[in-house]
Amino acid sequence: MPDAVQRRKNIAPWFGLLFAIGAVGCNAAFFVNPPLQGTLPWLSLLFAALALIFVVTGLWRAFGQAQVYRGKVLSVVLGVIALLPVGFTVFVFVAARRLPSSTAAPQVGQKVPDFTLPDTSGKLVSLDQLLAPVPSPNSSASSPESHAPKAVLLIFYRGYW
Amino acid sequence: MRPVAISVDAPEVSRDLVHKAGYTFLILSDPDTTVIRQYHLLHPGGAQDQHDIARPAEFLVDSSKMVRWTNFTEDIRVRARADEMLAAAQQMR
Repeated sequence: MPDAVQRRKNIAPWFGLLFAIGAVGCNAAFFVNPPLQGTLPWLSLLFAALALIFVVTGLWRAFGQAQVYRGKVLSVVLGVIALLPVGFTVFVFVAARRLPSSTAAPQVGQKVPDFTLPDTSGKLVSLDQLLAPVPSPNSSASSPESHAPKAVLLIFYRGYW
Repeated sequence: MRPVAISVDAPEVSRDLVHKAGYTFLILSDPDTTVIRQYHLLHPGGAQDQHDIARPAEFLVDSSKMVRWTNFTEDIRVRARADEMLAAAQQMR
């Protein structure tokens, strides 16, 4: 008769919420530029999937196995709260990877196109100038290091900061 | 090795960024995406306001303009780390 007392605690919804928060935490981790960050998108997706599994498990226990488990209200409330970060994580995963192919871009062993572009002061700078065996405009001509740079690292970025 | 950053941001926008962030490397502006197109890096409508921008990419180019190392991320959150780029530059010697 006192089976309500004997029903087990339903902690699955809490794990659902925990993994949902972990999924969003993966996105925050990019800002510290960690090593092996290429795994972070997949880790965030894994956490989101685990969150969903625990949310569904919690709901199933509360409603499908109500004679064994408690937590009807808890599993619904935590489930709804967990869905927000899960949805955000999946949305960001898709949006961040919607990039055009790079196959037509210059590859190792190919020559890059010449260019001339303005710097932050509006002064035009060419690739030839960047690679020229003369000192850069910032260093003095008598500098012992006034030889050509061995290389330039061209970093194309999205802008709009 | 000299790092050079290129984006669609206008020179004034990049100048503000330099002031705010204290960057010392060269930043070049390609607002009409001419060079970004030449390098086949155009991301049409890639900005939040649907403007065309560059897809992220890094090229290590030697003094004969030959590409020695590249990095094309498949996820805008994942970028080449400074130590990876320095390691690539050191391997050139």
